[in-house]
Amino acid sequence: MKRRRLEEIIVRWTVTLGGVGVILCIALIIFFIALEAVPLWRGASASLTGTFEVAQRDGAVPLAVGIDEYGEITYTVSGDGAVSFYSAKDGSLMSSRLLERLEGAGVAAVTPVSGQHGYALATDTGFVLPIEIKFLVSFDEGGRRNIEPWVYEGDPVRVSDGPLVLAAYASDEEGGRAVTAAVTAAGALIVVSEAAGDSIFTEGETLTKRYDLTPALRGSLPTQIAVDDFIENIYLGTNDGRLFQWHINDKANPSLEAVRDATPSRSVPVTALGFLLGGRSLVVGDAAGGVSVWFSVEDRASPSGRSLMRVHTLSPHDAPVTRLAPSFRNRGLISGDAAGKIIVHHATSERKLLELVSDGTPIAALAFAPRADGIVSVTGSGTQYVWALDNPHPEVSIKTLFGKVWYEGYPRPEYVWQSTGGTDEFEPKFSLTPLAYGTLKGTFYALLIAIPLAVLSAICASQFMHPSFRALIKPVIEIMAALPSVVLGFLAGLWLAPLIENYIPGVILWFIIMPPLILLSVFLWRLLPKDFRLRFRDGGELFFLIPVVIGGVLMCYWLNGPIQSGFFAGDYREWLFDTFGLRYDQRNALIVGFAMGFAVIPIIFTISEDALSYVPRHLISGSLALGATRWQTALRVVLPTASPGIFSAIMIGLGRAAGETMIVLMATGNTPIMDWSIFDGFRTLSANIAVEIPEAPHGGTLYRVLFLAAFLLFVVTFLINTVAEVVRMRIKKKYGNM
Amino acid sequence: MKNFWKSGDPYVWLTGGALMTSLLMVGGLLLLIGAKGLGFFWPEDIAQMRLKDGTVLLGRITGKEKIPSIVGDSEDRTRVHLKIGNRDLYGLDFKWVDEDRIEKIEFPLGAVVLERREWGDMYAFIEDIERDGVSLPGEEEGLWEALGGLIREARGIYSRIREIETEEIGRINYRIERKELKIKALKLKGKGGEEWGEGRVARLEAEIEGERALYLEKEKELEALYRKLNENDVVMKTADGRSKTVPVGGIVRAYRPNAMGVLLKLGLYGSKLKEFLLDSPRESNTEGGVFPAIFGTVFMVLIMSVAVMPFGVLAAVYLAEYARPGPFVQIVRICINNLAGVPSIVFGIFGVGFFIYGIGGTIDSFFYPEALPTPTYGTGGILWASLTLALLTLPVVIVATEEGLSAVPTAVKHGSYALGATKSETLRRVMIPTAMPGILTGLILAIARATGEVAPLMITGVVKLAPTLPIDANFPYVHLDRKFMHLGFHIYDVGFQSPNVEAAKSMVYATTLLLIAIVLVLTIFAVVIRSRLRKKYSFGEL
Repeated sequence: MKRRRLEEIIVRWTVTLGGVGVILCIALIIFFIALEAVPLWRGASASLTGTFEVAQRDGAVPLAVGIDEYGEITYTVSGDGAVSFYSAKDGSLMSSRLLERLEGAGVAAVTPVSGQHGYALATDTGFVLPIEIKFLVSFDEGGRRNIEPWVYEGDPVRVSDGPLVLAAYASDEEGGRAVTAAVTAAGALIVVSEAAGDSIFTEGETLTKRYDLTPALRGSLPTQIAVDDFIENIYLGTNDGRLFQWHINDKANPSLEAVRDATPSRSVPVTALGFLLGGRSLVVGDAAGGVSVWFSVEDRASPSGRSLMRVHTLSPHDAPVTRLAPSFRNRGLISGDAAGKIIVHHATSERKLLELVSDGTPIAALAFAPRADGIVSVTGSGTQYVWALDNPHPEVSIKTLFGKVWYEGYPRPEYVWQSTGGTDEFEPKFSLTPLAYGTLKGTFYALLIAIPLAVLSAICASQFMHPSFRALIKPVIEIMAALPSVVLGFLAGLWLAPLIENYIPGVILWFIIMPPLILLSVFLWRLLPKDFRLRFRDGGELFFLIPVVIGGVLMCYWLNGPIQSGFFAGDYREWLFDTFGLRYDQRNALIVGFAMGFAVIPIIFTISEDALSYVPRHLISGSLALGATRWQTALRVVLPTASPGIFSAIMIGLGRAAGETMIVLMATGNTPIMDWSIFDGFRTLSANIAVEIPEAPHGGTLYRVLFLAAFLLFVVTFLINTVAEVVRMRIKKKYGNM
Repeated sequence: MKNFWKSGDPYVWLTGGALMTSLLMVGGLLLLIGAKGLGFFWPEDIAQMRLKDGTVLLGRITGKEKIPSIVGDSEDRTRVHLKIGNRDLYGLDFKWVDEDRIEKIEFPLGAVVLERREWGDMYAFIEDIERDGVSLPGEEEGLWEALGGLIREARGIYSRIREIETEEIGRINYRIERKELKIKALKLKGKGGEEWGEGRVARLEAEIEGERALYLEKEKELEALYRKLNENDVVMKTADGRSKTVPVGGIVRAYRPNAMGVLLKLGLYGSKLKEFLLDSPRESNTEGGVFPAIFGTVFMVLIMSVAVMPFGVLAAVYLAEYARPGPFVQIVRICINNLAGVPSIVFGIFGVGFFIYGIGGTIDSFFYPEALPTPTYGTGGILWASLTLALLTLPVVIVATEEGLSAVPTAVKHGSYALGATKSETLRRVMIPTAMPGILTGLILAIARATGEVAPLMITGVVKLAPTLPIDANFPYVHLDRKFMHLGFHIYDVGFQSPNVEAAKSMVYATTLLLIAIVLVLTIFAVVIRSRLRKKYSFGEL
């Protein structure tokens, strides 16, 4: 007795624990998927790892600051022409030296040059000195890291005889070409272009050209200057808030490309200029605290075909912007202001990720760590701050995921999905909209084919067929449901797509001629003697339609050629392109429609058939007894009663089509484009996950965006199915006991 | 005419048209796959085409189609799709030949098909056999017979080579790898200050040396075998008169379809079918067999069943018998039902995040730190794929089991209680045995679904070519961390990722047929069991 009770208790607990556990596990799936996507919304965070005083000498105002890749050594370039290295841990001075090629001149301004630690120094004796800070990393026996910093000094470029206040410099990789732009204390803008001679006469020589661009300024005083990495453009900001752009090349004089009002009013000067990673986007900071991003956009109206535009406006500061620094990993940047505040932005997503506050004195120098995992700044009071930055997903926001985003190089804001690119400077584009569109498109075309076939078939099988036929048909359709989707996808992609490509007019014709053909066969059928007709059981006569359908297919096959040459000038693809401008993609929405329709038909059929069969027999008998024909009964009595069931069947079919992966993966070209055309391919959310997740690094932005896509897919299909299920249970309850 | 519309018949027939179209679609599809899949193994005759410009082509006719017509061209022109093989000579396997350019088609008896391990099939005539560079005397017939013997001999050598390469050397490599890992692990521990590891490290290193010596020995044996394998060459003459020397060791089989009777062809058919089912793939999966894929599929489904059955049944029993009926249970039931409609790729990505990176990563850092950064369980593998599919099929099992349990007549249940049985006894002795067909149906449906599912697998551990099976002769014999091959993925991969899709197509049809056959047999089995079950208990409620 005791043993039995024990067993009873054990079983009860095992089953309850196990059952509840399994159900909880299932719930865990959705939570886990959501949880993996959550960090996308988290902003950045930073922790101060060190503050220390930078040794101050007379005139040694730090003008630039930086940190090495491993976050161990910081450096400053100061106004007296000294480069000093500090330990990032405790701020101790490691070494400091005066730049030799300055020859004692003072430094008025320091502008970053392409590369991570390159600078152009504007001197008070009229030349510009390009320098680069380098870090030599070596590993000793025990695997310990040893970093040795040093300074490379380039050739000074003589610009004028008087002192300079601003300078910018750019050179190409081989050193063949260099452009220096500088502003003198008198407000003159001088550009010096140097190019290695490339003809036989000039080989080995350097051709130097000087241009004075001051007249173009028309009295505005330059406040900021920059030359882009490609040595194509010179940008200049002025005290009356204007932004100038000159085109430069080594053949012709610089040409003024654009003049824009970059600040809210003429009284607000431009106070900072900088480039984003890739060197195509210009960042402008002004005295009112505004930060905006500009790049050249395709513009037919302008003579050069491009025009400079303000594309992104970022979160403003309360005080004038003093310094800008780009990230070397993504399109992020930091901006510092006169009140000592630093904001971490991301240009494309226009997100303000973080705000850092230092001691309240203006930010004198500012830099991102090379791996974008730290920030270093020097304030006006000579204090250096080093922050460790955690900024995992700056490029993602609701807007970049679902809205139109203006990406660098695009003529207008667009929905784009493009997760990988060729270069390090490539910016991943994560718009889920084209994928959701693809999902909707695929689902739509699948249902367009599946709903009529499945629902009509269900009506026929449940209402007009003898039960013995039904017992035959239902298993066949159920077998259809069991076909693996990879098989359907394979057939659609490799058999149907090339086949249909040649017979599109025939395929369309089939849908047109089938109804008349069927009507014709009814007509012929009714001409047959009644004795013969009555010999068939209910619905038996419908099997005569099999040869009719096959005949229709054959007819279209034969008519395809004549139609093409008769109506479409021999090739419908050319005709399509000439008439509507539509391209024909071999793996397109029509193919997916057929294949996915095939996958969905059995689902819709089975559930609709069930719903139609649930309609109580006495309703049907009553209707027939009152003299209604079997069609009238089906249409007016059975169909309205079963319509909720058919609705739920369609919903479940929709859910299946929306989540189908293999068919769309194999039967479309998987290009994420947004186009309604039935002859174009698309990419769905589900296929996108399958394609991209093997390439997505664990924990990266792409990885989390894919989890977000999966979450959306889960929620949408779950909701659709729930609605369908609730409806189905209602009618089961309503008619089940009748 | 009025009567015509009023009778409703036209509408009825229209719905009938839809139904018949659906049925025809199913039938047509099965027929297509059946014909193409089974036709793959049939040794078809080889046609020799003499074209009007004097070119001679030799190959297998694979199809015929109308040439897309041009404006004003009233005459229908057709072209023939010819598989000319000889990829090493022509570069392409297939050629389109306009029918009006053909002067004559013959089926020469001497045309030989060589199935080769490299470069695909060869269609040509036998010209000469060279043994160590010396020609063998004899006429075409004599040579043909000699070739048969040589191929048989070479096949024996080749299978020995395969054995050494995959099994013996594989085993040695595996042992070396494990020992090296062990040394690494000992050194990792040694950093913690434990001294006792040094002796063991030295011993292991000595053992590795021994294994290396063994390896070299095997290598020598292989070299000798290879020399023997490549002793003989056969010189073939193609239709356009070019001579090509083919090493006999590289020939899988040779036959002359035009000279074969139906019985002989049937025999060859059987042997090709056997190769397909039992051999490993060749030429990046486009030729040879699919045995590893069959094995992977079956093994994965097996693990999945072991994982899904107890939990599925437990959950179903809980819902049906132990949970207090009410809206909450009803909601849970709906949710589980709906889970079956959630896209499989969602389960797949869950598997990637939770099983592979979550659990797998943790296992690696605790139990296999010596192998890091190479992941052991922290990457796709058969275990994770199976568990992902187990989650995917859980709703199927739960729903079917619940249905089975609720189909047990209450009278039977009450009878058991009346006889004094406790709830657990009733469950164990009455309910579950009676509901067994229902539970089995669930399992079979789950297996059918899992067999055909590809999307979640391709991100959780399926690969196009797995060098080793998940079960082998190396300790611990079952390797759940290994990647595996799968029939469904094989279809996707060969059909869409292989460089020579056209040549691989027929192979894909055969694989498709196999997959469909497995799935359909399972499904039909489930449908039959279910209908039996329904019949058996349908009057229990009366």
